[in-house]
Amino acid sequence: MIQEEETRVLLGNVAIARGIVESGCHVVTSYPGTPSSEIIPAVVEYKKELGLKTYIEWSSNEKVAFDNALAASLTGKRAAVAMKQVGLNVASDSLMSSAYTGVIGGLVIISCDDPGPHSSQTEQDSRFYAMFAKIPVYDPSTPQEAKDMVKEAFELSEEFQIPVLLRPTIRVSHAKQSIELLPPLELDRLANFEKDPERWAATPCYRLILHTKLNKILQGIQERFEKDTRWNYEVGSTGGASLGIITCSASFVALMDIFEELDVKDVGNILKIGTPYPLPQKKIRDFIERHEKVLVIEEPDTVIETQIIDKSKVLGRLTEHVPLQGELTPEVLYDILAKVLGELGLAQLKPISDPKLDKLIGDLDLPVRRPTLCAGCPERAAFFAIRKTFPKAIYPSDIGCYTLGLNLKAVDTVIDMGAGITLASGFYQAFHQDDKDIPIIATMGDSTFYHSGTASLLNAVYNNARFILVILDNEITAMTGMQPTPGLGITADGSQGRKIPLEELVKGCGIKWIRTIDPYEVNNLIKLLKEARKYTQKSDGGISVIIARHPCLIQYPDVCQEHLVEVDINEDCNGCMYCIDFFECPALRPNEKEDGVEIDRMLCIDCGVCVDVCPRGAILPTERRKDTHIR
Amino acid sequence: MKTQIILAGVGGQGILFASKIFSELGLKLGLNVMGSETHGMSQRGDSVIAHLKLGNFHSPIIRTGAADILYSFEEKEAYRTLGFLRSGGVCFVNLEDAGRFDNKILNHLREKKILFRAFDANGEASKIGFVRAANIVLIGYSVGSGLVPFKRDDMISVLEMVSRKEDLEMNMKAFEVGVRHGSTERI
Repeated sequence: MIQEEETRVLLGNVAIARGIVESGCHVVTSYPGTPSSEIIPAVVEYKKELGLKTYIEWSSNEKVAFDNALAASLTGKRAAVAMKQVGLNVASDSLMSSAYTGVIGGLVIISCDDPGPHSSQTEQDSRFYAMFAKIPVYDPSTPQEAKDMVKEAFELSEEFQIPVLLRPTIRVSHAKQSIELLPPLELDRLANFEKDPERWAATPCYRLILHTKLNKILQGIQERFEKDTRWNYEVGSTGGASLGIITCSASFVALMDIFEELDVKDVGNILKIGTPYPLPQKKIRDFIERHEKVLVIEEPDTVIETQIIDKSKVLGRLTEHVPLQGELTPEVLYDILAKVLGELGLAQLKPISDPKLDKLIGDLDLPVRRPTLCAGCPERAAFFAIRKTFPKAIYPSDIGCYTLGLNLKAVDTVIDMGAGITLASGFYQAFHQDDKDIPIIATMGDSTFYHSGTASLLNAVYNNARFILVILDNEITAMTGMQPTPGLGITADGSQGRKIPLEELVKGCGIKWIRTIDPYEVNNLIKLLKEARKYTQKSDGGISVIIARHPCLIQYPDVCQEHLVEVDINEDCNGCMYCIDFFECPALRPNEKEDGVEIDRMLCIDCGVCVDVCPRGAILPTERRKDTHIR
Repeated sequence: MKTQIILAGVGGQGILFASKIFSELGLKLGLNVMGSETHGMSQRGDSVIAHLKLGNFHSPIIRTGAADILYSFEEKEAYRTLGFLRSGGVCFVNLEDAGRFDNKILNHLREKKILFRAFDANGEASKIGFVRAANIVLIGYSVGSGLVPFKRDDMISVLEMVSRKEDLEMNMKAFEVGVRHGSTERI
């Protein structure tokens, strides 16, 4: 049906989306987060291409996404929910409970880990959540395997009536591979909810019964995984060898390439584990028995190693043969292997690095590139105004592009989604207790506010906290790749949903002082910030909220084309570098003699905000564009 | 054929598009294709690097000292990624002024029998009025040079397949400009 089988090069996350579609999945939900964000858009594409009826949702947060998928499963439909690893923290309440109640239609949870970390606040290992919640987990090594595992995960989930976790790491999610596309399964299932309060609304005494059942289910799954040879298999001789390596995920395939290249097969065998929980213990024990030493290589943490019962022959993180943090890149793996093979007297590997080249390049003293807000980003304008108005305030902030307000020294804390506001209220209470009144300026993006801002804000209002909250509303979830928000009211597949304006939401949290402004109007924003501060100090005042609204330039390039303000720097520039230190626009750079600043015309987008930044008034709109100057 | 390619540069230089060109080439040649990309926070003005492996490999990641070919669309990123090249590999660097590249490093590359080619792809792309296609100019240059195992005709049919309709003509032009320069500077 639908299309011929063909081979395409797919990104890991697109392969996962394809696996979801090929499984006939009915409902897919997610909150965006690197490295998981490409899954939903790919499902949307397949839905359109194949004319499917899949319900797809960008949810307001991961817990919400999880529960929506769970409900679909309770009606007998197949459902998938995708998120990044720290998203599973948010959804963990639902995860723990649903492991007990179980599911009806297949429920597959995809949690993408980020060893490195490349784009996350932790290197946590989602597989531990599988152990914690007592649900099975599949751990793919490649995009192809991820796609195939999604399909088996749905089947396992339905057979054992349990949610199943798929844990790709970033090197699977963002890897590409040629993959054969198969037709989607057609599963005609009408929603049907059979009431069973002892299960779906179980009180503690029934929870004990559910827990007992869960333990039995896990035993059954473990037996299945013991027999499995599709994901759990040995490479090398089936007999013994001096060294055995138990490994999984991206490390497995990287080790395979290294083994082939070095031709060290005769000194070691590999046991590849694709189902780290429940761990096929017999398989592991048997493998360890046939080897003198066994090295466990997994990332980012010690899920397999921890579960191994007799560790007397085991080398790994717990014996410090594997680094306790950071990504296991091919270079790190090579070093681990060289060290272990050397220690055991099996082989001396030649170093792969080129220290002479490294030294020559080190001598060049190349500038360190740091992530930075785009030239013309409205969030930069807001941060500049905040710092200029309150140079000594505390600046709690949050997760998103605007984390990069760090570069403007207008971000002091970045803990987790929602903490911009909760830390602001916490700081207020801690200082207030000592009768200290210090300015606290919290910043949070629009998508983060919809994700977890409301609970934080209404708590702060309820408990009489006082601070300024600046909501940086660029009308999109920018950092993760431009996903729509409830403020925009566009849903995952591009159809119109209902808009929920930030102003109404903020008002609903009990805020009495709300102002909206375009942060490009830096001087007006500064005035507004001063008013906002006064309100926090008035006897009948409270929390003041400024919505700094200007669309993201990457998502809405046409908007910025409407108000171009081309600027030049004149001879009044004395090279004080204030604009570079305090505004940090990538389009402003020291000139060659370093006695002044120049504009990088390739990067400048003519936003004109820097006109208000220069203390000497040396940045001015050019004659040619004065007519369109918006101020 | 087993070929490992690194594509390096900064955000906005079309590295993911270049990676797509080689992916489709691999498919066209009936090879297994694997690779890896950069997304997320590191995209905000940071270095962007793509790995591509054509032929039978297990892992999508190229290790230090293993790449056959390096394309760098930016000078500093070239320095940062040279370590990926194996002895006997070849690199193509988008560079306005070839004389500017560090001499000590060039000598070291020569010792490792790594071929170094600098070419002003930005300049050539601007000349045809399509600076965005500097990536394709550089790839064309490499094909023209005969130092890479990719055939001109194969590349053309891949470009036809992956280019957006409105860009196709200019992409072709960019490619041919690159090929011409590559083949005239052939040694």
